[in-house]
Amino acid sequence: MKNQELVDYLVSCGVCTICQLRYLRARGTEYNDINQSFQRLGVKVPENQLRMDETNGISTDEQPFKKPRLSHCSTCLGIFSEDFQRELIEGIIASDFSKYDSEGIVLAITMPMSLQLRQLSMWFALQRKFGPTVHSNSPPDVPIKEAVKLILHPIICKKLDKKYDANGLMISIDLRHTVEEPEVDKLVELNRVAFPGKTLKRIEISRGLLEKQYQPSRVKAETYEKYLPIPPPAVEESLTLKSIDLQGPMVCVAGRYRKLSRELSHTPWLLQGVRQMEDSIEEIIIRSVGPHFTETVTKITFMSSGREDVDVRCLGKGRPFVLEIPNSRHSSLTKEQALAMEQAVDKSCKVSILNLQVVPREQAMHIKTGEEQKRKYYRALCALKEPATLEILQKLQIPESFDIQQKTPIRVLHRRPLHTRPRTIYSVKARLQRGNPLVLVIDIVTQAGTYIKELVHGEFGRTTPSFSSIIGKPIDIQALDVVGIDLDWPPEVDNSVSQ
Amino acid sequence: MAATADPLESFYFEHEEQQRICGQPVSPITDGFDPNYPSVVDRFFTRYYYIRANAAYQVLYHSNRICLICLAPTHPALAQGIATLSFDVGNVDRSQNVVKGKGKKGGMILQADSTLALLTTETGQTYKIPSCIRGKLVEVNAALVAEPKLLEQLPEGAGYFAILLPKIENCDLIKEKLLTQEQYEEYLKTSQEQDTEHLETSKEQKEEENMKANKEQLTT
Repeated sequence: MKNQELVDYLVSCGVCTICQLRYLRARGTEYNDINQSFQRLGVKVPENQLRMDETNGISTDEQPFKKPRLSHCSTCLGIFSEDFQRELIEGIIASDFSKYDSEGIVLAITMPMSLQLRQLSMWFALQRKFGPTVHSNSPPDVPIKEAVKLILHPIICKKLDKKYDANGLMISIDLRHTVEEPEVDKLVELNRVAFPGKTLKRIEISRGLLEKQYQPSRVKAETYEKYLPIPPPAVEESLTLKSIDLQGPMVCVAGRYRKLSRELSHTPWLLQGVRQMEDSIEEIIIRSVGPHFTETVTKITFMSSGREDVDVRCLGKGRPFVLEIPNSRHSSLTKEQALAMEQAVDKSCKVSILNLQVVPREQAMHIKTGEEQKRKYYRALCALKEPATLEILQKLQIPESFDIQQKTPIRVLHRRPLHTRPRTIYSVKARLQRGNPLVLVIDIVTQAGTYIKELVHGEFGRTTPSFSSIIGKPIDIQALDVVGIDLDWPPEVDNSVSQ
Repeated sequence: MAATADPLESFYFEHEEQQRICGQPVSPITDGFDPNYPSVVDRFFTRYYYIRANAAYQVLYHSNRICLICLAPTHPALAQGIATLSFDVGNVDRSQNVVKGKGKKGGMILQADSTLALLTTETGQTYKIPSCIRGKLVEVNAALVAEPKLLEQLPEGAGYFAILLPKIENCDLIKEKLLTQEQYEEYLKTSQEQDTEHLETSKEQKEEENMKANKEQLTT
């Protein structure tokens, strides 16, 4: 089979130049300059090559009174035509495309099943025409999917002035063609005959099934031809854009939060569907940060390196957090924008955020890794029943680490398993409030996951040792502050200093 | 000055850092001190009582429905002096209880009158500690077996015998069957009045009475 013969035959079947190159198994950049590639492959370039769309391969005996209509490639239904490219670009521009600032885009094109059927039909036709030089197992062409990536993607990226990026804005394009429905109906009939064993259930014809089962090695051309023509006929109608959906990239925004309120939960707190507190850290932060990135703020995921109880403040440098924002329109944040968000959160007077920045998605996991190993720094306000003595104060100066056994606290025991967990306390330093000998301020450094309140009062002996057991007297905790979390992430950024 | 130097001088807390958050200075943690701060029990639990054989038991009902079973402060064993405590109640050893997972699978199912533990006093009396509520046994306080005397000294709640988890749907009925703090105080008053009627009655006789009452309860 000579290249020239192949091309001549394809032309006679109404195949466009791009698809001719596909059947010549052109790769990569060979689609850029069609004429050059034809020459290199030893194929004569027809004079009207570039106007191939208008060449009608089959309907030469058209009625003269009928207005001549454009005919589209029998194998790609015109997906590679310039008209279609134009329509596609116009469609994308008419969508919300301009609202996304992502530098990268990725196309996900759903093509009519007719394209796969037509590929098979042409495969049969070529086998008939050129005999066994055309294999039954590997398709004679560069698959349309691949060709779309090689041809359409670069063109669209260039026209839209974007880069190709698998993690960029995903443009999902659903293409339809009027021939799809009648052809798939025929295919259902064909499938009953070609694969009779599988008629027990209603057959759902899928693209995957087509790809797997519809090859000349599995379906006979004669069977196929009873339902659908070989070679595939050119079509008059062009492809239509059923829909264009945009899915922005996932953007991760990190920072550290501090919490001033002792009446604020971490995330919305619901008891039997009833809200217990009017606001939460998660909601306060998302309210100020979310709308810049997305319209669907409810899809944002809030994560942090641990959490504190409702009545615990979080001070010092704060607790690292990350927002995972799907379908984001913006993939960056200027210092000015970040500062405005930080200031908006400050207005809550309950939560404050710092170091707000967009971070690479891979880094977002930093927040969850090695959580148990991390040290947490606390300050506890504790109350004795009788005035502090030198002995009590001395017993609560513990510069070296020690281990405790902590049973699951009663306050969470109804929803968590009962375990006794070993925890390391790295240091304890108690001080006395001047003028009130019942009041101790105790600075504690512990392994993450230690329940501090229970560490202080011992919870009826369920945490041992506890501060209570160490001093041999009752001691209770009235207030707790988180004063440090030893995670050096995200990096410090001062958004109030302009670049 | 030197003669009366405060030995605690080096331990005093100074609110050192002047951190500002949300434009406000952060208040020192000591501002949160409340001299009338309620105890752990008062913060999270409701006290209920269960009477068996003229002896009162306390159920500390957590707001999340977890229950701690304790002796009521008026339980006669406390006055008699506690000698031993055992979770081996004859047919079964409660301390062998094992629970798995969030659902506390495998925990013994107890009825209000199921014996949770056996307590003997220095006067030789044995008390069958009742479970007080219907629920699943989550944990027993094994430390009390080695040191039963702790029951006389420990602060409220710490002398719990066991932790039970009732089913959510049973909670209303369970609370209804127990005495509230008010009802318990009422009960104490009436039993005291009875006591004053028998002012002359000796301790031994009282115990006999208890035994009688015990039998009465068993027959009813």
